[in-house]
Amino acid sequence: METNYDAIVVGTGISGGWAAKELCEKGLKTLVLERGRMVKHVEDYPTMHNDPWDYKSGDVITQETRKTQKKQSRTNYTTNESGKHFFVNDIEHPYNEVNRFDWMRGYHVGGRSLMWGRQSYRLTDFDFSANLKEGIAVDWPIRYKDLSTWYNYVEEFIGVSGKNVGLPQFPDGNYLKPLELNCVDEVLKSSVDGGYSDRIVANARVAHITEGTKPGLGRSSCQYRDRCARGCPFGAYFSSNSSTLPTAEATGNMTLRPNSVVHEIMYDADSKRATGVRVIDSETKEIYEFKAKVIFLCASTVASTSILMQSTSDSFPNGMGNASGELGHNIMDHHFQVGAYGRYDGFEDKYYTGRRPGGIYIPRFRNIGGDTNQKEFLRGYGYQGGASRGSWTDTVSEMAYGADFKEEITKPGDWSMGINGFGEILPYHENKMILDYDNLDKWGLPTVTFDATIKENEKKMRIDMKQQAIEMLEKAGFKDVKGYDNDYAIGLGIHEMGTARMGLDRETSVLNANNQVHDVPNVYVTDGSAMTSASNVNPSLTYMALTARAANHAVNELKKMNL
Amino acid sequence: MDRRKALKNIGTGIGTIALTPAVVSLFHSCQTDVSYSSVFFTENDFKIVSTLMELIIPKTDIPGAIELKLPEFVDAYIDAVYDEKRKGRFSSGLEEFLAAGIKDAGKEKAIHLSITDWDSQLAKYLKLGNEILEDEKQAAKFAGELRSLTVNAFKTNEFIGENVLAYAPIPGKQEGCVDLMETTGGKAWSL
Repeated sequence: METNYDAIVVGTGISGGWAAKELCEKGLKTLVLERGRMVKHVEDYPTMHNDPWDYKSGDVITQETRKTQKKQSRTNYTTNESGKHFFVNDIEHPYNEVNRFDWMRGYHVGGRSLMWGRQSYRLTDFDFSANLKEGIAVDWPIRYKDLSTWYNYVEEFIGVSGKNVGLPQFPDGNYLKPLELNCVDEVLKSSVDGGYSDRIVANARVAHITEGTKPGLGRSSCQYRDRCARGCPFGAYFSSNSSTLPTAEATGNMTLRPNSVVHEIMYDADSKRATGVRVIDSETKEIYEFKAKVIFLCASTVASTSILMQSTSDSFPNGMGNASGELGHNIMDHHFQVGAYGRYDGFEDKYYTGRRPGGIYIPRFRNIGGDTNQKEFLRGYGYQGGASRGSWTDTVSEMAYGADFKEEITKPGDWSMGINGFGEILPYHENKMILDYDNLDKWGLPTVTFDATIKENEKKMRIDMKQQAIEMLEKAGFKDVKGYDNDYAIGLGIHEMGTARMGLDRETSVLNANNQVHDVPNVYVTDGSAMTSASNVNPSLTYMALTARAANHAVNELKKMNL
Repeated sequence: MDRRKALKNIGTGIGTIALTPAVVSLFHSCQTDVSYSSVFFTENDFKIVSTLMELIIPKTDIPGAIELKLPEFVDAYIDAVYDEKRKGRFSSGLEEFLAAGIKDAGKEKAIHLSITDWDSQLAKYLKLGNEILEDEKQAAKFAGELRSLTVNAFKTNEFIGENVLAYAPIPGKQEGCVDLMETTGGKAWSL
């Protein structure tokens, strides 16, 4: 077995796939390590064509499944029978909670790039400058101009459907044709666009091909099946399995090794460089060491942070790159499950075709200057949502049961629409993850304990998120409008981030402006752990852009013999 | 997979969804007479629940609940999906419902009630405008839940999903606002 490489990439999800592609394309012999099993595009999507009646529960998660996926299933929205094989077994992969923390994840090649929500938005300078402006945590070491060309670059490769609207809080991008809004979406759009000066209803931006093809394994246009999370036989949405990993593979420079649990980065105090990684084979439990000139840690926020924490030495008694004491702290997510829904009368003779992967998006309209600035809370939120026709209506329940009732339930029901807020969580030092060496997993590695909660700023924001949602729907003429604020615990957004933040110096942050560990320049961390603040938008696109940018930096530094 | 063929089928299928007698008889020929052993309901309760479900979704020009094996689906569904607490609540609701039925019909055992007896029980609980007595709230709740389970079973049924509702496993296109009659003949999408 070859143990020496130019580069090692840890993880194969959104970030790892991008690191693998970029480093291999630039000629580096790259070892890509994945802790989970192999998942080959199409071949390993066993449920991709199943209908609900192929399951005795109609694809609803069963009690039997809950026995091994208690936490993965408890949100009641992450898993179902057709997709459960892409989520971890909670008994084999335990973690601990001081406060409830939903850590939803899958251990396999492709990681969460297979099951992600695919909403793809850019951060803005409202985000990058907020910490500095408000004196919160530390300043981001980069601004939008540092990332904008990389956003263009990754959007071009993955394919993002959307529409440019020319708003600074919702920057234009490199988009394929947008998904169509339906007739009731349009009702809300014309009411909001015309009735407010601070906000608009835009088309969702999702990582789906809507025209032409994209590089990878025969990637073609979306067929609107809404079976994305089982793996797409058309490769229509972006996943590592269909896109970045095959592109890396095609260079001949990639060695992909599944079932490889990386738990430590080895360090040489003389050269002040990392030398490689220690790996446990998850099946044989044998330990291997692999060496490389540069290491990309892309194992996901919690896993990458956990690896740094376990990489202790005389130089780093508290974990690699942890001179600041910030490693594992400042954990963030997006708080959601707050908004409103209502019924719409009319358009009984209208319908839609296709099960679209995205509806409407209402970009942030709070705290972006002038009248939009709020006294009650900092930062902002956006809404995702859409209208559809239901299956039950009041007229149906008047029929109660019987032959007429039976006929009626074969027809589409009333139109209704829901808009759901996604808000920013501030970076709080006391929101943290730690390692528990008293509770080890089956490979003898420490388990993770989460201790994080939302606080006053988020709670006040949620009041506004609910109120504004109700107001917009009522103004647009929706009936029976109801606001909601369901229980939210950190993690449920599945956007955990911030535990090895970027910053200006080693005293207050873990990573520099190029995602290098301040004290170990040949270790790059480019997943969610790098985030200095959370913004309010879905983060995956930013991880891709940061990764591509960091890989470019690493290759240039290698050429200059700086690493 | 043969995407081209699948897309072609979709293209010709939409807008002409209708249930032909030939399709119905094809379905009938698949029926078997093997008796079913229920996993959640007792044997007697399963018979009564089947009668109730057939009243909710009766046989018309398309098959009814019993022929579609919806009681079997609901029995297995509750067993697989409900947790113990929810199973217990559902069972006690069923008991209340049966007790109220026995009382109203003036009979000794639930199994003695006729279809007409059960029909008037469903009418009492499910038709709008009827006042529900305090001690029959649980029975009424059971009737509502059984109706929801029956509708869910109907919509999750392969025959209904593929032949009665508008079935498009691979839509191939996305349009925001189209004419309902032209697109599906007035039917709801199956998936």
